[in-house]
Amino acid sequence: MDIGNIKKYSDLAHDLALTKRNALEKCRARQIMAYNGRLFRANADTINLVHTLQAHSKTFVILDVNDNPCEITDPADFLQRLIERNQETLNTLNQLHQQLKKRI
Amino acid sequence: MSTGVLMYCFDTPQTAYHRIAERSIALIKKNLKLPVTLVTDRETHNNITHDVDVDYKIIEKTNTNNFRFYRGHTVPWYNMERARAYEHSPYDCTLLLDCDYFCYTSNLLELTRTDYDFLLHNRVNDITGLNRIQTRLESTLPIVWATVVMFTRTERVKMIFDTIQYVQKNYEHFRNLYRIKFRNYRNDYAFAIALHQLSGQLKTDHFIPTPMNMLPHEYDVLECTDRGIVYKYNNKVNLLANTDVHVLDKELIHVG
Repeated sequence: MDIGNIKKYSDLAHDLALTKRNALEKCRARQIMAYNGRLFRANADTINLVHTLQAHSKTFVILDVNDNPCEITDPADFLQRLIERNQETLNTLNQLHQQLKKRI
Repeated sequence: MSTGVLMYCFDTPQTAYHRIAERSIALIKKNLKLPVTLVTDRETHNNITHDVDVDYKIIEKTNTNNFRFYRGHTVPWYNMERARAYEHSPYDCTLLLDCDYFCYTSNLLELTRTDYDFLLHNRVNDITGLNRIQTRLESTLPIVWATVVMFTRTERVKMIFDTIQYVQKNYEHFRNLYRIKFRNYRNDYAFAIALHQLSGQLKTDHFIPTPMNMLPHEYDVLECTDRGIVYKYNNKVNLLANTDVHVLDKELIHVG
């Protein structure tokens, strides 16, 4: 058993875990976007909700991150912005993950 | 509607806060592209490099016995003026920031594009992963963080700041009432108490929806660049890039 090597691997694993954790926080922070005076998370939940409601109604009301109601009068525009922001953040996260793979 | 950043900065015998503020302002100009008003005293103002593109509001800082613990020492702490941010701010929409908060992104701009009149963090993220910032049972009310505050000019916001000043004047009473562990005056608690009192003693639920990133003061900042911060602890060196962060290591003024 090479204890030195194990310690080295453990240190690397710690660094990678921390980097991933902070990158995820950074991604979530960037996903917060203002729309129609309210704040929303451009994540899968919001995208799915807006997509589903859009199929049933031209306008609808949803809750923002602080549970305040917000009327969405142009769902297509909102959905477009949500998807753009979501993919911007996830692409950045994905790039980082690809770089981290090379370190292992 | 005007939008800008308000910042407080007072040098102490131990720390040249103006040098931290200069770095922070450069990042604000680059990433938020907002005007900055620096509230400071005459002495600190004289130390500032005057090519920094900011507006100054020179005040007499309140003589205070307030203190904070920093790396095993007790150091003076000039943090009383923040309670007067509503009257000091020249903007309709203000981002009130600590001078050691480094904006490496434009994320805070999203807050200024909403109908909210008052937003601040109620959660914190220790970027070292060790969760050293907050311990349990520090008080009977949930803490908020006064490091980053977005506010606009409304009657309600004026009342919030009036209440903060009232809490500040009677802090010992409120500290006992809410069983706050720390003996020094902390704006975080003054803001939390004011919000609690003004919301009819119910929990407030309007916050910045992401935690505030913090680097504890036990960590040494090795480098502070346009892109991020390199820090060290226990012989481990890490980089935090393109992420807004509140840096508690005041020695960063000596690094490149």
